[in-house]
Amino acid sequence: MSILKKLVLSAAAVALSATASSAANIYVIGGKPDDPFWSIVKRGAEDAGKVVSAEGGKVVWLGPQNYDNLGVDAAELIRQAIDQKADAIVAPDWVPDAMDPAFKAVKAAGIPFIVYNAGGIEAADRLGAMNYVGAVDYKAGVAGGDYLGKAGGKSGVCINSLPGAANIEAYCKGFGDGITKAGGKSDVLPLPATAEGNVTAVTQAFKAYLLQHPDVDSVFTTANLDAVGAVQAIAQAGRTGKVKVCGANFDQAILAQIDAGTQACAVDQQGYQQGYYAVSILNGYVNYGLNIPTREILTGPGVVDKANIKATMAGTKQGTR
Amino acid sequence: MATGATSGSGGLGRVLRRPETGSFLGLIVVYVVFALLGGRNFLTAPGWSSWLNMAAEVGIIALPVGLLMIAGELDISVGAVLPASSLTVAIISSHYGLPIYLGIAGGLGVGLAVGFLNGLLVTRTGIPSLIITIGTMFAVSGLTLGFTILIAGSTGVFIVPDPLTKSIFGEALGGMFQVGIFWWAGFVVVIYCLLHVSPWGNWIFALGGDRQSARNAGIPTQRLTIQLFMLSGFAAAFVGVTQVITFGSAQVAAGSSFIFNSIMCVVIGGVLLTGGAGSVIGIVIGTMTFAIVNQGIFFSGLDPNFGSIIIGALLLAAVLSNDTFRAMALSYVAKKK
Amino acid sequence: MDLIGTFLRRPAAASILSLIGVLAFYAIFGGVDLGRFAAAASWVNLAANLGIVALPVGLLMIAGEIDISIGAMIPAGSMTTAILSGYFGLPILVGMLGALAVGVLVGLVNGLLTVRTTVPSLIVTLGTLVAMQGIVLSSSVLLTGGVSVSLAAPDWAKFAFGHLIAGSHQVIIVWWVLLTMIFAFVVHKTRYGNWIFAMGGDKDSARNAGIPTKRLTIGLFILSAVCASFVGMCQAILFNSAQVSGGMGFIFNAIVSIVVGGVLLTGGFGSILGIFFGTVTFAVVSQGIYFTNIDRNWSNLIIGAVLLLAVLMNNTFRKLAVNYTGAKNRN
Repeated sequence: MSILKKLVLSAAAVALSATASSAANIYVIGGKPDDPFWSIVKRGAEDAGKVVSAEGGKVVWLGPQNYDNLGVDAAELIRQAIDQKADAIVAPDWVPDAMDPAFKAVKAAGIPFIVYNAGGIEAADRLGAMNYVGAVDYKAGVAGGDYLGKAGGKSGVCINSLPGAANIEAYCKGFGDGITKAGGKSDVLPLPATAEGNVTAVTQAFKAYLLQHPDVDSVFTTANLDAVGAVQAIAQAGRTGKVKVCGANFDQAILAQIDAGTQACAVDQQGYQQGYYAVSILNGYVNYGLNIPTREILTGPGVVDKANIKATMAGTKQGTR
Repeated sequence: MATGATSGSGGLGRVLRRPETGSFLGLIVVYVVFALLGGRNFLTAPGWSSWLNMAAEVGIIALPVGLLMIAGELDISVGAVLPASSLTVAIISSHYGLPIYLGIAGGLGVGLAVGFLNGLLVTRTGIPSLIITIGTMFAVSGLTLGFTILIAGSTGVFIVPDPLTKSIFGEALGGMFQVGIFWWAGFVVVIYCLLHVSPWGNWIFALGGDRQSARNAGIPTQRLTIQLFMLSGFAAAFVGVTQVITFGSAQVAAGSSFIFNSIMCVVIGGVLLTGGAGSVIGIVIGTMTFAIVNQGIFFSGLDPNFGSIIIGALLLAAVLSNDTFRAMALSYVAKKK
Repeated sequence: MDLIGTFLRRPAAASILSLIGVLAFYAIFGGVDLGRFAAAASWVNLAANLGIVALPVGLLMIAGEIDISIGAMIPAGSMTTAILSGYFGLPILVGMLGALAVGVLVGLVNGLLTVRTTVPSLIVTLGTLVAMQGIVLSSSVLLTGGVSVSLAAPDWAKFAFGHLIAGSHQVIIVWWVLLTMIFAFVVHKTRYGNWIFAMGGDKDSARNAGIPTKRLTIGLFILSAVCASFVGMCQAILFNSAQVSGGMGFIFNAIVSIVVGGVLLTGGFGSILGIFFGTVTFAVVSQGIYFTNIDRNWSNLIIGAVLLLAVLMNNTFRKLAVNYTGAKNRN
């Protein structure tokens, strides 16, 4: 028993000395690992992390197991980053009520930090962050609603396959505001928990909704598979060409749909850029005292549609878009 | 199985006492309710295709899950096998560019392998299958995420299947009815023969009744258990294959709802959690009932937010009524005495 | 020599050994600084929240039942508190009692359905889980028009239920330790504990022996629902907000903790100390990976592997313990 203990302690000592000589240790709090959008943000952070590692530091990604308790889990992860003596922290302000105290603790600990992805420049100013990098979920929804409204949409619906998650709710609220401003009306289609992770369930549910609401001509989706399912549902309901689809984020399947004309647009937050720039700016600051004085670096919303599809597709193949 | 032993008790009485009757009545009630609420759209082809498409997928998985439950086991890992299989197909066929049939074989192989592992661990260690399959669920989902990011660099992989493959696995007939429905029907026939026609069926019931007695009676319980787990793994993998071919897209974060959904279908269909009782017809009825409720909500004017409440209440109502029917059937004494 | 045998026969043995094994694994292969890890709050916070729920669910499992509705009870508790005291502005005490009352209600439903029908508790609680998810979502949308609610609790409530000791450790840790001690006393020192073990062993014999099995079962279900609600309530107070959500993840995490802690799924065996260490082990496994250089993508794989190894160890030790005869007997 005691020999084992000695082995463990000496191994720990070796580990301790190995990590003590690192330079900028940047902790990035983001979404769960199997989330398509967040894996791109993580990629961006890791690519910037190559520079960080080359200079002797490291980028550590902290994400929750699931989105059941977004604000709570993220606040805990921020505090964990403080505990681990981070040199810099990047975190989204998904749920201000729950997460602001954690951000304040970061400020109190004197750790430079950047708010990204959610919260906007208002959060960065309120919390004393260096900057805000990213798009705002709400604005992404507005962009989608605006685009479809201007394209002639009069009645839109937002498919919410994760009711209860604050970020998804923000998309749908934004979409509703966007399309009503352009002169249409909006609705939300929430899906029950039994549909989670099941693209067929989403398809069939939306098909039923379309049949019951024949005047719907615009739909906004908040998850990658939902967009693919929505297009299928439109086909199965016999309304191809009569209903326009726009969605948040995209991947190869969605771009193929835009190229083929079955999807009208996708709202891009350029997640890669969010991770990349947030880490990059902090690395420069910690090591060399550099800073970007421009407050609010917006990475979106950008709209991808038939007009700029080809260039976007090249990037998606790389896993960076 | 005391019913039916009393002679001359009348055909109707005997039918009423069958375990599936309760589930079937439940199905009728549920359909009528949603037909009234949903109107024309629900009663015609769009409505039928809507819930049949959903029923087909969960139904294919519910069948072997039901068999396992009759044999006294549970399989939680189906939720992780589905995306693992989808991604295997996509990575082999699209990322590595190999022919699609190799991809499909790979996906199905993953399901068989996980099933084999589950069966092996359950039979060799004596640890309850609930725990073993929770463990394999975590492990498989971890492997899926890890390898997908490692190989493909993102959480989703995409394929463009050739027309032949798409028509076999992913086509929508009449633009509405997915071919999965026919695959489900095929599965039903095979599993029905397995459970009610072949000697294996008796073995499965015996296994669920009392494992020790079953082994003493000469039934190869270990081999049978492993085969049943491989069957459920195969079914989950099969649904994963059809999904990726139908939608062209495979994501890591898929499949979790199938775990409890398949259990619900099976239980609504009259299979006892304690094992030893159930039927394929019952499972099919339970699956249809579940799908009708899930989809019917979107045809009715009800707020979809109430969906989960209705499903939960339905589950409880269904098992309670199954319970009552079974109690009635067991206590029935022919009146002619 | 006999000391080792006695140790191994305790249900908690495997969970303690699993914990040491995991720490060693992370230290050797993951480069974890054990000192820094021990001082970190993240895994302790996780263990406390999970632990308060795992204790009564573990007791239910010892008694031969299971409760998966806790997954929906945590958001139910936090939303009740937040809606009553945050949205409607009622005093915090009302919000807190409301959350606990919801727990009592759901626990009562679970318990009554389990004892009055032959439906297994897995199915009953699956039904209440799905139903409660829907009720919480619908209520939130109906009452507040949204799915998340803010809450600003007064200082005394924050001090007792939702503040951070030394700015990092949630005060619910104190509640967790307190509850563990109370549970340990009741289960291992009073007759209620014997009753629970007896029920798990053979429910009919227990009833024949005069144990009020029905009342005890209902009581245990109420306890688990209330504890889950309590955790939700504390979270709402600490984090100033509540969110409607699934809560599915919690279910499997709790079961893993309980089983790693030595409780037999078939009932009749286990210990409070085992559940306590099982919870700690789970928290270390899931949070410890963040302190290593191992890619997060593999975290689920590690959790699954640890679970399987731990239960295998549990099994082996129990078999050894049952067959162990002291060396002194070999004459």
